[in-house]
Amino acid sequence: MRQAVSIPAGTGSATRMVAALLALFMGLALAGCGVNAIPTAEERAKAAWSDVLNQYQRRSELIPNLVETVKGYAAQEKDVLTSVIEARAKATSVKVDASTITDPAAFQQFQQAQSQLSGALGRLIAVSEAYPDLKSNQSFLALQSQIEGTENRIAVARRDYIEAVRVYNTELKTFPGSLWAATLHRGYQPMQNFTIADDQMKPPQVKFN
Amino acid sequence: MKRFGTMPAALLAALTLLLALLLPAAAELSFPPLSGRVVDAAGILDAATTASLDSKLAAHEAKNGDQLVVATVPSLQGTSVEDYANQLFRHWQLGQAKINNGVLLLVAPNDRKVRIEVGYGLEGVLTDAVAATIISTVLVPAFRAGDFPGGAAKGADAILEILNLDPEEAARRASAAGAVEGPILGLMRDQWLVVFFLVVMAVFWIVVFVRIFLRPPGKRLVRTPDGRMIIWPAGISRGNPRSSWSSSSRSSSGGFSGGGGSSGGGGASGSW
Repeated sequence: MRQAVSIPAGTGSATRMVAALLALFMGLALAGCGVNAIPTAEERAKAAWSDVLNQYQRRSELIPNLVETVKGYAAQEKDVLTSVIEARAKATSVKVDASTITDPAAFQQFQQAQSQLSGALGRLIAVSEAYPDLKSNQSFLALQSQIEGTENRIAVARRDYIEAVRVYNTELKTFPGSLWAATLHRGYQPMQNFTIADDQMKPPQVKFN
Repeated sequence: MKRFGTMPAALLAALTLLLALLLPAAAELSFPPLSGRVVDAAGILDAATTASLDSKLAAHEAKNGDQLVVATVPSLQGTSVEDYANQLFRHWQLGQAKINNGVLLLVAPNDRKVRIEVGYGLEGVLTDAVAATIISTVLVPAFRAGDFPGGAAKGADAILEILNLDPEEAARRASAAGAVEGPILGLMRDQWLVVFFLVVMAVFWIVVFVRIFLRPPGKRLVRTPDGRMIIWPAGISRGNPRSSWSSSSRSSSGGFSGGGGSSGGGGASGSW
């Protein structure tokens, strides 16, 4: 390199050529040793996260219709209905932004609010089983299938997010990603992942009474 | 210098960790191979039903591009029908890539579960509510009566009917599918992209070398870094990249395969 620089001014274009080639080579070499891996994995995880939010949002939008329909047939199930409305209000009030996935407390809050809503919604669907008129109502059936479909989409989106975050966090912690994380990509934080709540880990109990 | 001794150990540890993380990444569920448009791994369909279903599904795919596959599995391997169907759908990559127009009708007779899994691209046509209606009115009654071939055939008919409901929409999907599929002058679209890229690269390098070595006519003599002068023969142009490329061997052996589509869990499931 030093020799190339010491070439007399007459061969300036050749020097420039060498410099350009070197820059190209270095660019390729850097890309080859994974300097792009962390940003790539981060973008993928962020995309998976927005899909998760999207599906939760979709569920949230379906709930008012469901509540109205159930109210028409089973107004006496006031407790369950209000618990769904309250849980929905709480879940939508949780502020979610780009920092949520790297902030353990905010992520925990989001996850808790959504799982509370899932629980309330599950109870609402369960009590609906006791009302034959409601169960044969066409719009209730359609809503029920949409809610079920959305719950399933949430499950898939969460699974994709869990996998994307696993790849991203692994890239941050393992060689050669750990080198980049310590030097060039110092701002990249590990992301939070979904955990299964303790009550969901227990096998369901069957009671006879 | 002292640090140098610890480096290989750390490196080895990091590499071992990476390896350990890579190994268990294999899928936990095992899936039957995608042998055709009807995969009867549970063995509940008769030959006549399989054949007529297959030709019906093939005709629909030729017309609209939508890929509908009917599958039966002996076991869900301990997971839910929703989870199994989604993973199987993604494993087989039903539907064309980018437009994701695949549908999977999955029957698990021993678990008494059925699911219609819909690819991203068809969620607006075959909605959850519609899929749930097909399951509760067509599939479940037939399966409850033990009529698996009849139920599967009628279920597939009902799905195809929905997919054909709006002719304009169906035509639009068909043209979108055609744009992805058809070869142009013998090469696939991404192969043309490779050709285009190579041509651009070749032109770039030719321009670069022409500028460097041919522009000032007196400077054919090039000084090497160590000060020697060498003569650049005019006849040899070094900036002539090879114009051959390794063609990606596309499996077009006439067999049936998924088109690279994916699903995000749309559809509905039922049990009997």
